[in-house]
Amino acid sequence: MSPWLLGPVQAAVALMLAPGLVGAIRWMKARLQSRQGSPPWQPYLELRKLFAKEVVVSSNASWLFRAAPFIVFGSTVTVTLLVPLLTVPLPLGGAGDLLVVVYLLLLGTFFLALAGLDPGSPFGGMGASREMTVAALAEPTVALAIFALAWGAGSTNLGQIASRTLITPSEALAPGHVLAFAAIFLVTLAETGRLPVDNPSTHLELTMIHEAMVLEYSGRYLALIEWAAALKLLVFFSLLGNLFAPWGVASAITPGALLWAVLALALKLLALGGVIALVETHIAKLRLFRVPELLSASFILALLAVTASFLVR
Amino acid sequence: MSPEIVSQLSVGGSTLVLLGGLMMLWRRGVAAHIGAFTFQSVALAATMAMVGWFAGDWQLWAVAVLLLLVKGIGIPLLLKRMGRRFGSERELEPYVNTATSLLIGGLLVLLAYIVTAPLVSVSRLPTRTGMPLAIGLVFVSLFIIISRKKALTQVLGFLMLENGIALLAVLGTHGIPIIVEIGVFLDVALGFIVMQVFVYQIHETFESIDVEQLNRLRE
Repeated sequence: MSPWLLGPVQAAVALMLAPGLVGAIRWMKARLQSRQGSPPWQPYLELRKLFAKEVVVSSNASWLFRAAPFIVFGSTVTVTLLVPLLTVPLPLGGAGDLLVVVYLLLLGTFFLALAGLDPGSPFGGMGASREMTVAALAEPTVALAIFALAWGAGSTNLGQIASRTLITPSEALAPGHVLAFAAIFLVTLAETGRLPVDNPSTHLELTMIHEAMVLEYSGRYLALIEWAAALKLLVFFSLLGNLFAPWGVASAITPGALLWAVLALALKLLALGGVIALVETHIAKLRLFRVPELLSASFILALLAVTASFLVR
Repeated sequence: MSPEIVSQLSVGGSTLVLLGGLMMLWRRGVAAHIGAFTFQSVALAATMAMVGWFAGDWQLWAVAVLLLLVKGIGIPLLLKRMGRRFGSERELEPYVNTATSLLIGGLLVLLAYIVTAPLVSVSRLPTRTGMPLAIGLVFVSLFIIISRKKALTQVLGFLMLENGIALLAVLGTHGIPIIVEIGVFLDVALGFIVMQVFVYQIHETFESIDVEQLNRLRE
Protein backbone atom coordinates (compact mmCIF):
# COMPACT_ATOMS: atom_id res chain seq x y z
CA MET A 1 0.00 0.00 0.00
CA SER A 2 1.41 3.38 -0.88
CA PRO A 3 1.83 5.95 1.89
CA TRP A 4 -0.67 8.23 0.17
CA LEU A 5 -3.33 5.59 0.67
CA LEU A 6 -2.21 4.49 4.13
CA GLY A 7 -2.39 8.02 5.60
CA PRO A 8 -6.08 8.53 4.76
CA VAL A 9 -6.83 4.99 5.97
CA GLN A 10 -5.26 5.86 9.31
CA ALA A 11 -7.26 9.09 9.55
CA ALA A 12 -10.46 7.22 8.65
CA VAL A 13 -9.85 4.60 11.35
CA ALA A 14 -9.30 7.39 13.89
CA LEU A 15 -12.47 9.18 12.79
CA MET A 16 -14.51 6.00 13.12
CA LEU A 17 -13.10 5.05 16.53
CA ALA A 18 -13.28 8.49 18.16
CA PRO A 19 -17.03 8.72 18.99
CA GLY A 20 -16.92 5.13 20.21
CA LEU A 21 -14.11 6.02 22.61
CA VAL A 22 -16.16 8.85 24.12
CA GLY A 23 -19.18 6.58 24.35
CA ALA A 24 -17.14 3.81 25.99
CA ILE A 25 -15.78 6.20 28.62
CA ARG A 26 -19.30 7.47 29.37
CA TRP A 27 -20.60 3.92 29.61
CA MET A 28 -17.80 2.74 31.91
CA LYS A 29 -18.25 5.79 34.09
CA ALA A 30 -21.98 5.15 34.35
CA ARG A 31 -21.41 1.50 35.29
CA LEU A 32 -18.83 2.52 37.92
CA GLN A 33 -21.37 4.87 39.42
CA SER A 34 -24.07 2.13 39.42
CA ARG A 35 -26.07 3.84 36.72
CA GLN A 36 -27.54 2.16 33.68
CA GLY A 37 -25.87 4.60 31.29
CA SER A 38 -26.44 5.04 27.58
CA PRO A 39 -24.91 2.37 25.32
CA PRO A 40 -21.32 2.94 24.08
CA TRP A 41 -22.49 3.65 20.53
CA GLN A 42 -24.68 6.55 21.66
CA PRO A 43 -22.29 9.28 20.32
CA TYR A 44 -22.64 7.87 16.78
CA LEU A 45 -26.41 8.28 17.03
CA GLU A 46 -25.98 11.79 18.42
CA LEU A 47 -23.70 12.75 15.53
CA ARG A 48 -26.20 11.39 13.00
CA LYS A 49 -28.99 13.32 14.68
CA LEU A 50 -26.97 16.57 14.75
CA PHE A 51 -25.96 16.28 11.09
CA ALA A 52 -29.64 16.04 10.13
CA LYS A 53 -30.69 19.03 12.20
CA GLU A 54 -31.21 22.60 11.10
CA VAL A 55 -28.46 25.13 11.91
CA VAL A 56 -29.41 28.22 13.90
CA VAL A 57 -26.87 31.05 13.85
CA SER A 58 -27.10 34.28 15.80
CA SER A 59 -27.62 37.34 13.61
CA ASN A 60 -24.63 38.97 15.33
CA ALA A 61 -22.24 36.22 14.28
CA SER A 62 -19.68 36.87 11.55
CA TRP A 63 -18.17 34.52 8.95
CA LEU A 64 -15.69 33.39 11.60
CA PHE A 65 -18.44 31.63 13.50
CA ARG A 66 -19.31 29.58 10.41
CA ALA A 67 -15.71 28.87 9.44
CA ALA A 68 -14.44 27.83 12.86
CA PRO A 69 -16.03 24.34 12.99
CA PHE A 70 -14.39 23.41 9.71
CA ILE A 71 -11.01 24.75 10.81
CA VAL A 72 -11.23 22.89 14.13
CA PHE A 73 -12.27 19.67 12.46
CA GLY A 74 -9.76 20.02 9.63
CA SER A 75 -6.78 20.72 11.88
CA THR A 76 -7.61 17.79 14.15
CA VAL A 77 -7.97 15.40 11.22
CA THR A 78 -4.62 16.60 9.87
CA VAL A 79 -3.08 15.75 13.23
CA THR A 80 -4.24 12.14 12.92
CA LEU A 81 -2.08 11.86 9.78
CA LEU A 82 1.01 12.85 11.75
CA VAL A 83 0.81 10.77 14.94
CA PRO A 84 1.76 7.09 15.12
CA LEU A 85 -1.67 5.45 15.23
CA LEU A 86 -1.21 2.26 13.22
CA THR A 87 2.19 2.11 11.54
CA VAL A 88 5.78 3.24 11.99
CA PRO A 89 7.50 4.86 10.17
CA LEU A 90 4.59 7.20 9.60
CA PRO A 91 3.11 7.11 6.11
CA LEU A 92 3.19 10.90 5.87
CA GLY A 93 5.88 11.44 8.53
CA GLY A 94 7.88 13.69 6.24
CA ALA A 95 5.09 16.27 6.38
CA GLY A 96 5.49 17.25 10.01
CA ASP A 97 6.93 16.42 13.39
CA LEU A 98 5.84 16.94 16.98
CA LEU A 99 6.00 20.73 16.74
CA VAL A 100 3.51 20.68 13.87
CA VAL A 101 1.24 18.37 15.89
CA VAL A 102 1.34 20.57 18.99
CA TYR A 103 0.63 23.74 17.05
CA LEU A 104 -2.07 22.24 14.84
CA LEU A 105 -3.90 21.25 18.03
CA LEU A 106 -3.39 24.76 19.36
CA LEU A 107 -4.72 26.21 16.10
CA GLY A 108 -7.99 24.36 16.63
CA THR A 109 -8.20 25.57 20.22
CA PHE A 110 -7.50 29.13 19.10
CA PHE A 111 -10.27 29.18 16.50
CA LEU A 112 -12.71 27.57 18.89
CA ALA A 113 -11.97 30.33 21.41
CA LEU A 114 -12.45 32.99 18.70
CA ALA A 115 -15.75 31.41 17.72
CA GLY A 116 -16.79 31.46 21.38
CA LEU A 117 -16.15 35.21 21.50
CA ASP A 118 -17.72 35.97 18.12
CA PRO A 119 -21.49 35.94 18.84
CA GLY A 120 -20.92 38.11 21.90
CA SER A 121 -22.72 35.91 24.39
CA PRO A 122 -21.36 36.17 27.95
CA PHE A 123 -20.79 32.43 28.34
CA GLY A 124 -18.81 32.21 25.12
CA GLY A 125 -16.41 34.88 26.27
CA MET A 126 -16.05 33.29 29.69
CA GLY A 127 -15.38 29.86 28.21
CA ALA A 128 -12.89 31.28 25.71
CA SER A 129 -10.88 33.09 28.34
CA ARG A 130 -10.75 29.98 30.52
CA GLU A 131 -9.80 27.76 27.62
CA MET A 132 -6.96 30.10 26.69
CA THR A 133 -5.70 30.10 30.29
CA VAL A 134 -5.60 26.32 30.34
CA ALA A 135 -4.13 26.02 26.83
CA ALA A 136 -1.37 28.53 27.52
CA LEU A 137 -0.26 26.47 30.51
CA ALA A 138 -0.74 23.04 28.95
CA GLU A 139 0.89 23.56 25.57
CA PRO A 140 4.51 24.04 26.75
CA THR A 141 4.18 20.95 28.93
CA VAL A 142 3.20 18.75 25.98
CA ALA A 143 6.08 20.07 23.89
CA LEU A 144 8.58 19.69 26.72
CA ALA A 145 7.45 16.16 27.63
CA ILE A 146 7.69 14.98 24.03
CA PHE A 147 11.09 16.67 23.75
CA ALA A 148 12.24 14.41 26.59
CA LEU A 149 11.42 11.45 24.36
CA ALA A 150 12.79 13.13 21.25
CA TRP A 151 16.10 13.59 23.01
CA GLY A 152 16.49 9.84 23.46
CA ALA A 153 15.38 9.04 19.93
CA GLY A 154 17.48 11.78 18.35
CA SER A 155 14.54 13.00 16.27
CA THR A 156 11.43 15.09 16.73
CA ASN A 157 9.50 12.86 14.34
CA LEU A 158 6.83 11.04 16.36
CA GLY A 159 7.12 7.90 14.23
CA GLN A 160 10.85 7.66 14.86
CA ILE A 161 10.35 8.13 18.60
CA ALA A 162 7.91 5.21 18.62
CA SER A 163 10.15 2.96 16.51
CA ARG A 164 13.11 3.73 18.75
CA THR A 165 11.19 2.41 21.75
CA LEU A 166 10.20 -0.64 19.69
CA ILE A 167 13.87 -1.39 18.98
CA THR A 168 15.10 -0.90 22.56
CA PRO A 169 12.23 -1.91 24.88
CA SER A 170 14.20 -1.08 28.07
CA GLU A 171 13.85 2.60 27.09
CA ALA A 172 10.17 2.41 28.02
CA LEU A 173 11.03 2.20 31.71
CA ALA A 174 13.70 4.91 31.67
CA PRO A 175 12.93 7.63 34.22
CA GLY A 176 12.60 10.25 31.50
CA HIS A 177 9.87 8.21 29.83
CA VAL A 178 7.95 7.53 33.02
CA LEU A 179 7.96 11.19 34.05
CA ALA A 180 7.00 12.35 30.57
CA PHE A 181 4.11 9.88 30.60
CA ALA A 182 2.83 11.28 33.89
CA ALA A 183 3.16 14.84 32.58
CA ILE A 184 1.29 14.13 29.34
CA PHE A 185 -1.41 12.25 31.24
CA LEU A 186 -2.12 15.30 33.40
CA VAL A 187 -2.12 17.54 30.35
CA THR A 188 -4.48 15.18 28.53
CA LEU A 189 -7.00 15.71 31.30
CA ALA A 190 -6.70 19.48 30.88
CA GLU A 191 -6.56 19.65 27.08
CA THR A 192 -9.49 17.37 26.41
CA GLY A 193 -11.72 18.88 29.08
CA ARG A 194 -11.79 15.90 31.46
CA LEU A 195 -12.62 16.02 35.09
CA PRO A 196 -10.33 17.82 37.47
CA VAL A 197 -10.18 20.70 34.99
CA ASP A 198 -13.50 20.68 33.15
CA ASN A 199 -16.56 18.52 33.60
CA PRO A 200 -17.55 16.93 30.27
CA SER A 201 -21.03 15.91 31.45
CA THR A 202 -22.34 19.16 32.90
CA HIS A 203 -24.13 22.17 31.56
CA LEU A 204 -23.71 24.14 34.75
CA GLU A 205 -22.71 27.55 33.42
CA LEU A 206 -20.29 28.60 36.12
CA THR A 207 -18.00 25.59 35.90
CA MET A 208 -17.81 24.69 32.26
CA ILE A 209 -15.05 25.51 29.78
CA HIS A 210 -15.52 23.58 26.57
CA GLU A 211 -19.32 23.55 26.79
CA ALA A 212 -19.40 27.31 27.34
CA MET A 213 -17.52 27.98 24.12
CA VAL A 214 -19.74 25.81 21.97
CA LEU A 215 -23.01 26.89 23.58
CA GLU A 216 -24.10 28.88 20.52
CA TYR A 217 -23.51 26.07 18.05
CA SER A 218 -26.19 23.78 16.70
CA GLY A 219 -26.81 21.27 13.93
CA ARG A 220 -23.93 20.12 11.77
CA TYR A 221 -21.55 22.75 13.18
CA LEU A 222 -22.00 21.30 16.66
CA ALA A 223 -21.58 17.80 15.22
CA LEU A 224 -18.24 18.77 13.65
CA ILE A 225 -17.01 20.34 16.87
CA GLU A 226 -18.04 17.40 19.03
CA TRP A 227 -16.46 14.98 16.58
CA ALA A 228 -13.25 17.03 16.59
CA ALA A 229 -13.24 17.04 20.41
CA ALA A 230 -13.60 13.24 20.45
CA LEU A 231 -10.81 13.01 17.89
CA LYS A 232 -8.57 15.18 20.03
CA LEU A 233 -9.13 12.84 22.96
CA LEU A 234 -8.21 9.93 20.71
CA VAL A 235 -5.04 11.71 19.52
CA PHE A 236 -3.87 12.32 23.08
CA PHE A 237 -4.68 8.74 24.11
CA SER A 238 -2.81 7.33 21.14
CA LEU A 239 0.18 9.55 21.98
CA LEU A 240 0.11 8.12 25.50
CA GLY A 241 -0.38 4.58 24.22
CA ASN A 242 1.88 4.49 21.20
CA LEU A 243 4.76 6.75 22.16
CA PHE A 244 5.33 5.13 25.53
CA ALA A 245 4.25 1.55 24.83
CA PRO A 246 4.39 1.17 21.04
CA TRP A 247 3.85 -2.59 21.01
CA GLY A 248 1.27 -3.67 18.48
CA VAL A 249 2.05 -0.84 16.06
CA ALA A 250 2.70 -2.33 12.63
CA SER A 251 6.26 -1.87 11.39
CA ALA A 252 5.66 -3.87 8.19
CA ILE A 253 2.68 -3.08 6.00
CA THR A 254 0.76 -6.33 5.61
CA PRO A 255 -3.00 -6.80 6.06
CA GLY A 256 -2.46 -9.01 9.13
CA ALA A 257 -0.14 -6.53 10.83
CA LEU A 258 -2.53 -3.65 10.11
CA LEU A 259 -5.48 -5.55 11.51
CA TRP A 260 -3.47 -6.38 14.63
CA ALA A 261 -2.45 -2.69 14.89
CA VAL A 262 -6.09 -1.55 14.80
CA LEU A 263 -6.95 -4.12 17.47
CA ALA A 264 -4.00 -3.09 19.68
CA LEU A 265 -4.94 0.58 19.28
CA ALA A 266 -8.54 -0.14 20.29
CA LEU A 267 -7.37 -2.10 23.33
CA LYS A 268 -4.99 0.68 24.45
CA LEU A 269 -7.73 3.28 23.99
CA LEU A 270 -10.13 1.18 26.05
CA ALA A 271 -7.56 0.69 28.81
CA LEU A 272 -6.77 4.41 29.00
CA GLY A 273 -10.49 5.19 28.81
CA GLY A 274 -11.00 2.88 31.79
CA VAL A 275 -8.33 4.77 33.74
CA ILE A 276 -10.04 8.08 32.90
CA ALA A 277 -13.44 6.71 33.93
CA LEU A 278 -11.96 5.51 37.22
CA VAL A 279 -10.24 8.86 37.85
CA GLU A 280 -13.41 10.79 37.02
CA THR A 281 -15.46 8.66 39.38
CA HIS A 282 -12.92 9.13 42.12
CA ILE A 283 -12.24 12.87 42.15
CA ALA A 284 -14.17 16.11 42.07
CA LYS A 285 -13.56 19.10 39.86
CA LEU A 286 -10.78 21.44 40.96
CA ARG A 287 -11.56 25.04 41.63
CA LEU A 288 -10.62 27.07 38.55
CA PHE A 289 -7.94 28.96 40.44
CA ARG A 290 -6.25 25.71 41.42
CA VAL A 291 -6.01 24.46 37.83
CA PRO A 292 -2.74 26.37 37.23
CA GLU A 293 -1.28 24.49 40.21
CA LEU A 294 -2.12 21.15 38.62
CA LEU A 295 -0.65 22.27 35.33
CA SER A 296 2.51 23.66 36.87
CA ALA A 297 2.95 20.31 38.64
CA SER A 298 2.76 18.60 35.26
CA PHE A 299 5.16 21.18 33.82
CA ILE A 300 7.67 20.34 36.54
CA LEU A 301 7.27 16.64 35.76
CA ALA A 302 8.04 17.38 32.12
CA LEU A 303 11.04 19.51 33.09
CA LEU A 304 12.40 16.69 35.25
CA ALA A 305 11.77 14.28 32.38
CA VAL A 306 13.91 16.39 30.06
CA THR A 307 16.73 16.73 32.58
CA ALA A 308 16.61 13.00 33.41
CA SER A 309 16.79 11.89 29.79
CA PHE A 310 19.48 14.48 29.16
CA LEU A 311 21.61 13.03 31.95
CA VAL A 312 21.18 9.28 31.47
CA ARG A 313 22.06 9.52 27.84
CA MET B 1 23.07 -6.28 37.11
CA SER B 2 24.85 -4.29 34.46
CA PRO B 3 26.05 -0.79 35.38
CA GLU B 4 23.71 0.82 32.82
CA ILE B 5 20.65 -0.68 34.46
CA VAL B 6 21.92 0.35 37.91
CA SER B 7 22.44 3.85 36.56
CA GLN B 8 18.89 3.98 35.18
CA LEU B 9 17.42 2.51 38.35
CA SER B 10 19.26 4.95 40.57
CA VAL B 11 17.96 7.89 38.53
CA GLY B 12 14.48 6.36 38.68
CA GLY B 13 14.65 5.83 42.44
CA SER B 14 16.08 9.28 43.11
CA THR B 15 13.40 10.80 40.91
CA LEU B 16 10.69 9.14 43.01
CA VAL B 17 12.37 10.39 46.19
CA LEU B 18 12.51 13.90 44.73
CA LEU B 19 8.88 13.67 43.63
CA GLY B 20 7.98 13.13 47.29
CA GLY B 21 9.48 16.56 48.00
CA LEU B 22 7.66 18.18 45.08
CA MET B 23 4.36 16.59 46.17
CA MET B 24 4.89 18.38 49.45
CA LEU B 25 5.05 21.70 47.58
CA TRP B 26 2.00 20.86 45.53
CA ARG B 27 -0.50 19.53 48.07
CA ARG B 28 -1.93 21.49 50.99
CA GLY B 29 -3.54 19.13 53.49
CA VAL B 30 -1.55 17.82 56.46
CA ALA B 31 -2.58 14.24 55.62
CA ALA B 32 -1.31 14.68 52.04
CA HIS B 33 2.00 16.02 53.36
CA ILE B 34 2.46 13.04 55.64
CA GLY B 35 1.55 10.77 52.73
CA ALA B 36 4.20 12.44 50.56
CA PHE B 37 6.81 11.92 53.26
CA THR B 38 5.88 8.24 53.70
CA PHE B 39 6.06 7.71 49.94
CA GLN B 40 9.46 9.38 49.85
CA SER B 41 10.86 7.27 52.68
CA VAL B 42 9.66 4.03 51.08
CA ALA B 43 11.18 5.08 47.75
CA LEU B 44 14.44 5.92 49.53
CA ALA B 45 14.51 2.54 51.27
CA ALA B 46 13.91 0.78 47.95
CA THR B 47 16.73 2.73 46.29
CA MET B 48 19.05 1.84 49.15
CA ALA B 49 18.14 -1.84 48.87
CA MET B 50 18.80 -1.69 45.12
CA VAL B 51 22.24 -0.15 45.64
CA GLY B 52 22.92 -2.66 48.42
CA TRP B 53 22.09 -5.50 46.07
CA PHE B 54 24.34 -4.10 43.38
CA ALA B 55 27.24 -3.43 45.74
CA GLY B 56 26.71 -6.71 47.63
CA ASP B 57 26.73 -4.92 50.95
CA TRP B 58 24.51 -6.37 53.71
CA GLN B 59 24.91 -3.21 55.79
CA LEU B 60 22.97 -1.19 53.23
CA TRP B 61 20.16 -3.74 53.43
CA ALA B 62 20.10 -3.36 57.19
CA VAL B 63 19.98 0.42 56.87
CA ALA B 64 17.19 0.17 54.30
CA VAL B 65 15.08 -2.00 56.62
CA LEU B 66 15.77 0.32 59.54
CA LEU B 67 14.79 3.30 57.40
CA LEU B 68 11.57 1.64 56.33
CA LEU B 69 10.66 0.92 59.95
CA VAL B 70 11.59 4.31 61.40
CA LYS B 71 10.70 6.74 58.61
CA GLY B 72 8.27 4.70 56.57
CA ILE B 73 6.11 3.56 59.50
CA GLY B 74 7.14 5.05 62.85
CA ILE B 75 7.48 8.76 62.19
CA PRO B 76 4.38 8.98 59.93
CA LEU B 77 2.32 7.38 62.73
CA LEU B 78 3.63 9.91 65.24
CA LEU B 79 3.01 12.74 62.78
CA LYS B 80 -0.55 11.59 62.23
CA ARG B 81 -1.11 11.65 65.97
CA MET B 82 0.32 15.14 66.12
CA GLY B 83 -1.92 16.16 63.22
CA ARG B 84 -4.97 14.85 65.07
CA ARG B 85 -4.07 16.65 68.26
CA PHE B 86 -3.57 20.03 66.63
CA GLY B 87 -6.44 19.61 64.22
CA SER B 88 -5.54 19.14 60.57
CA GLU B 89 -4.82 22.78 59.93
CA ARG B 90 -4.23 23.40 56.25
CA GLU B 91 -1.31 25.28 54.87
CA LEU B 92 -3.63 27.92 53.47
CA GLU B 93 -1.27 30.79 53.04
CA PRO B 94 2.33 29.79 52.56
CA TYR B 95 4.72 32.69 51.99
CA VAL B 96 5.00 31.63 48.35
CA ASN B 97 1.94 30.38 46.45
CA THR B 98 1.75 26.83 45.14
CA ALA B 99 2.34 27.45 41.44
CA THR B 100 5.35 29.67 42.11
CA SER B 101 6.68 27.19 44.69
CA LEU B 102 6.56 24.41 42.11
CA LEU B 103 8.38 26.52 39.54
CA ILE B 104 11.00 27.48 42.11
CA GLY B 105 11.31 23.79 42.99
CA GLY B 106 11.98 22.97 39.34
CA LEU B 107 14.56 25.73 39.08
CA LEU B 108 16.27 24.50 42.25
CA VAL B 109 16.58 21.04 40.71
CA LEU B 110 18.14 22.57 37.59
CA LEU B 111 20.52 24.52 39.82
CA ALA B 112 21.41 21.25 41.54
CA TYR B 113 22.31 19.75 38.16
CA ILE B 114 24.63 22.66 37.48
CA VAL B 115 26.40 22.71 40.83
CA THR B 116 26.86 18.93 41.00
CA ALA B 117 28.30 18.62 37.48
CA PRO B 118 31.94 18.60 38.77
CA LEU B 119 31.00 16.16 41.55
CA VAL B 120 29.40 13.76 39.10
CA SER B 121 32.32 13.92 36.69
CA VAL B 122 34.76 12.98 39.48
CA SER B 123 32.78 9.92 40.60
CA ARG B 124 33.23 6.57 38.87
CA LEU B 125 30.28 4.80 40.45
CA PRO B 126 27.35 3.85 38.19
CA THR B 127 24.97 5.32 40.78
CA ARG B 128 26.41 8.83 40.31
CA THR B 129 23.64 9.79 37.88
CA GLY B 130 21.18 10.17 40.76
CA MET B 131 23.36 12.56 42.76
CA PRO B 132 22.04 15.83 41.24
CA LEU B 133 18.54 14.75 42.19
CA ALA B 134 19.61 14.11 45.79
CA ILE B 135 21.15 17.59 46.02
CA GLY B 136 17.99 18.90 44.35
CA LEU B 137 15.93 17.33 47.14
CA VAL B 138 18.18 18.99 49.74
CA PHE B 139 17.52 22.37 48.08
CA VAL B 140 13.79 21.74 47.76
CA SER B 141 13.47 20.73 51.42
CA LEU B 142 15.34 23.83 52.53
CA PHE B 143 12.89 25.82 50.43
CA ILE B 144 9.98 24.01 52.11
CA ILE B 145 11.36 24.93 55.53
CA ILE B 146 11.68 28.62 54.73
CA SER B 147 8.50 29.08 52.68
CA ARG B 148 5.86 27.36 54.85
CA LYS B 149 4.29 28.75 57.98
CA LYS B 150 3.01 25.72 59.88
CA ALA B 151 5.47 24.17 62.30
CA LEU B 152 4.37 20.67 61.29
CA THR B 153 5.20 21.35 57.64
CA GLN B 154 8.58 22.70 58.62
CA VAL B 155 9.30 19.56 60.65
CA LEU B 156 8.45 17.51 57.56
CA GLY B 157 10.77 19.70 55.50
CA PHE B 158 13.56 18.95 57.97
CA LEU B 159 12.90 15.21 57.77
CA MET B 160 12.97 15.39 53.97
CA LEU B 161 16.27 17.25 54.13
CA GLU B 162 17.67 14.33 56.07
CA ASN B 163 16.29 11.91 53.47
CA GLY B 164 18.09 13.90 50.78
CA ILE B 165 21.39 13.68 52.63
CA ALA B 166 20.95 9.93 53.16
CA LEU B 167 20.23 9.48 49.46
CA LEU B 168 23.32 11.47 48.54
CA ALA B 169 25.46 9.35 50.86
CA VAL B 170 24.18 6.12 49.36
CA LEU B 171 24.54 7.21 45.74
CA GLY B 172 27.86 8.99 46.15
CA THR B 173 29.73 6.52 48.36
CA HIS B 174 27.66 3.31 48.32
CA GLY B 175 26.84 3.84 51.93
CA ILE B 176 28.60 4.93 55.04
CA PRO B 177 29.41 2.52 57.88
CA ILE B 178 26.29 1.30 59.67
CA ILE B 179 27.44 2.73 63.00
CA VAL B 180 27.48 6.24 61.51
CA GLU B 181 24.09 5.59 59.93
CA ILE B 182 22.62 4.52 63.28
CA GLY B 183 24.08 7.63 64.85
CA VAL B 184 22.35 9.77 62.24
CA PHE B 185 19.07 7.97 62.88
CA LEU B 186 19.32 8.64 66.61
CA ASP B 187 20.11 12.24 65.80
CA VAL B 188 17.01 12.54 63.66
CA ALA B 189 14.83 10.79 66.23
CA LEU B 190 16.11 13.13 68.92
CA GLY B 191 15.65 16.18 66.70
CA PHE B 192 12.15 15.02 65.89
CA ILE B 193 11.25 14.62 69.57
CA VAL B 194 12.63 18.07 70.40
CA MET B 195 10.65 19.59 67.53
CA GLN B 196 7.52 17.76 68.64
CA VAL B 197 7.88 19.31 72.07
CA PHE B 198 8.38 22.70 70.46
CA VAL B 199 5.32 22.31 68.28
CA TYR B 200 3.35 21.29 71.34
CA GLN B 201 4.54 24.36 73.25
CA ILE B 202 3.80 26.67 70.33
CA HIS B 203 0.31 25.23 70.15
CA GLU B 204 -0.18 25.62 73.91
CA THR B 205 0.84 29.27 73.83
CA PHE B 206 -0.87 30.46 70.67
CA GLU B 207 -3.69 27.95 70.05
CA SER B 208 -2.18 27.46 66.60
CA ILE B 209 1.00 26.03 65.09
CA ASP B 210 1.43 28.92 62.71
CA VAL B 211 4.96 30.19 63.32
CA GLU B 212 3.95 33.65 62.14
CA GLN B 213 2.43 34.02 65.60
CA LEU B 214 5.91 33.91 67.12
CA ASN B 215 6.26 37.54 66.02
CA ARG B 216 4.02 38.38 68.93
CA LEU B 217 6.74 37.26 71.34
CA ARG B 218 8.01 40.72 72.09
CA GLU B 219 8.74 42.27 75.48
